[in-house]
Amino acid sequence: MATNPSPSLIALSATALALPGITSADAPPTQSTISYKFSNYAEDDLSRSEAPFGDLERYDIDVHQFQFITPIDSSFSLHIDANYESLTGASPWFTSKGVNGDPIVNLSGASGIRDRRSEFSIGTKYYLFNGSVGGNIGYSEEDDYRSSYFGLTGERHFNNEMTTVSLGFSYSSDAIFPTDAEVFNRVISEDKRSTSAIISVSQIISQVSSFQIALGLTEQSGFLSDPYKLKDIRPDNRTQIALTNSYRHFFINANAAWHVNYRYYHDDFGISSHTFDMRWYQNLRQSIQLVPSVRFYSQSAASFFTNVDNFVKPADEYQSSDHRLSAFGAFSGGLSFVANLGSWTATLTAERYVSNDSYSAYKVSQPSTALVRYNRISVGLDYTF
Amino acid sequence: MRHFQSILTGICIISLLSGCAQVRPWERGYLARKEMAWEVDPLESLLNNHIFFSKEASSGGNSAAGGGCGCN
Repeated sequence: MATNPSPSLIALSATALALPGITSADAPPTQSTISYKFSNYAEDDLSRSEAPFGDLERYDIDVHQFQFITPIDSSFSLHIDANYESLTGASPWFTSKGVNGDPIVNLSGASGIRDRRSEFSIGTKYYLFNGSVGGNIGYSEEDDYRSSYFGLTGERHFNNEMTTVSLGFSYSSDAIFPTDAEVFNRVISEDKRSTSAIISVSQIISQVSSFQIALGLTEQSGFLSDPYKLKDIRPDNRTQIALTNSYRHFFINANAAWHVNYRYYHDDFGISSHTFDMRWYQNLRQSIQLVPSVRFYSQSAASFFTNVDNFVKPADEYQSSDHRLSAFGAFSGGLSFVANLGSWTATLTAERYVSNDSYSAYKVSQPSTALVRYNRISVGLDYTF
Repeated sequence: MRHFQSILTGICIISLLSGCAQVRPWERGYLARKEMAWEVDPLESLLNNHIFFSKEASSGGNSAAGGGCGCN
């Protein structure tokens, strides 16, 4: 299904921006909270039909997340986030045609790939009579990547705090320095910049429901190609737009809350996507909660995507066999178990994600063979004091 | 046709929201429940945004972008 989102998106965006105001209710925290979450997600191995040669193991990733939020007198709050991520495994290096003419993928060596990523950010929010303003700065570092960023936010309530308009802005400056660059004839060092803005409007609809609409715009420039692919040549600019609608409803008789979100996305790589997700927060007892979730995602292919690398194509023509730029769809489902134990909250989450070109809501002219499937498990602990 | 449908959708949304009755502060008990927040578990939201950013081509729509990574 071809898409021409720009006229529709512009019309809907203009309408959204003209709305009287929508709020996500905001107030300074009255207590401090320390949160920790450990997650592991492991991608399924490729099959021999997908990768006849070499390793089949894909990424196995551990993630540690820390967060600290605390009030500072009656007008300020402090936010600190820290993450540590370690990764082992292999990623698609190049694609070629198999003996039956179907595309096959060749992975980079699984035994040698290890990467670690650390990230730290600190922010503050100042609460005004009818809104708030805030800012944050952050830094992340990997074995082959560095990112420095800052963000600004502001929100204003209207209509007896029934409506809130929020604005956000962020800027990121990144450096890329691939490992084994000279050995594999990769770029030695490149940079990338990203500027992002978002406006959202939230509205209380009734005593049990609220709605939010958000429009985000991101502009990337610099080196946007994948240096670890044997041939990957992408434009040095990318404009992305995303429109998200969110609805929350509390069912009193069921003692449960329902979350539903829909996002439409489009960029000038030629990619459009739909994301639809739902969560059901079922309170079982005073302190126990079960949260099933489902998500459906579908994207179209980038205009320069090819499922078989073309090594005779001129170097100044865009081309990528990165499966993340192909047309595909993905389903994911998960279940969380939440236990509230006084000042402590414990969360256990399991999720399964499967992607396939047959799930796509868009036309698939070149199916990718390297689409991802993974399992995720997370354990979290919050302490409020 | 798509342009007309988008405008019609926007008009419906405006009509729906302009018809909202005032909900007084003491009537917002259910809205104030933790499970009614836009993001109930911020760390879960951050993790999901990061994972989907590294596996899919799309991103954004719920917050300004923040920092980048070598994962995509």
